[in-house]
Amino acid sequence: MRGPEFLIMLFVNLLLVGCSGGVNKDTHHPKTIFVSIAQMKFTPAELHVNSGDTVVWENKDIVDHNVMEETSKEWSSGVISKGQTWKMVVTKNADYFCSIHPVMKGKLVVD
Amino acid sequence: MNNSENLKKIILMGFLSASVSIVVLGQAAPKLADDEIASVAVVANQGDIDFAKIAKQKSKDQEVLKFAETMAKDHQSVIDQAVALVTKLKVTPKDNDMSRKLIADATATKKKLQAASASSFNKTYIDNEVGYHKAVIAAVEGVLIPQASNSELKQLLENVVPTLKAHLEHAEMVQKTFASK
Repeated sequence: MRGPEFLIMLFVNLLLVGCSGGVNKDTHHPKTIFVSIAQMKFTPAELHVNSGDTVVWENKDIVDHNVMEETSKEWSSGVISKGQTWKMVVTKNADYFCSIHPVMKGKLVVD
Repeated sequence: MNNSENLKKIILMGFLSASVSIVVLGQAAPKLADDEIASVAVVANQGDIDFAKIAKQKSKDQEVLKFAETMAKDHQSVIDQAVALVTKLKVTPKDNDMSRKLIADATATKKKLQAASASSFNKTYIDNEVGYHKAVIAAVEGVLIPQASNSELKQLLENVVPTLKAHLEHAEMVQKTFASK
């Protein structure tokens, strides 16, 4: 095999090896997903993610907020001031709320 | 005057007092300019901050203390934004009948809260918070937003409404815990 043909075959082989490696390891590329905090609501209130995705809560409201896991207080953001964000890698389902304003609730669902 | 007449008098006075509040805060819809609306907004928020200060001094209930802390911070945040806006717009808040009535009512409420016994304070405070937020929401939606001329002032007032409604819902949640006590 000579010249261009060899290079094409090499490229195809590398591509196949790369793809099969991806299938065997992990096809999911973690994403970053935003949840808006505005008008005293989390939007979307229920967010579906893949395990390993990063969720960023963005406070666009006129007052400070936080996010806290509701059932066992397993995780909490601390205060998210106006105009600030807080992020977390999600690996499991969670019901969460704003402990400053407990009527504000949200849900994370790992598909 | 016998007991029955006393009771009638008390009921009538209560009714009149409530009517005055409703007229000032809602149905009569006094005509207000933007500088007067700014004054009402600041006074209404300051009133609730003052109530929260008393709650933080007198209550030992964790839910009441958390609620009072939220009221103090959130209403101060609204005042800060209102002050920043009127400064930008070069508007000086101007006293008016509605803001004067709010101040007079707040003074009476503060006296009532200060006088409440330790055993009755939490319920007195949270009952007032429920009523106060209902009245302020009615005033903001029924009087201040419709009459605001400046679009930025109107927008700020519209942005405040969800916060007030969440406060009301939170107050009602805490109120339920005292209903059975």
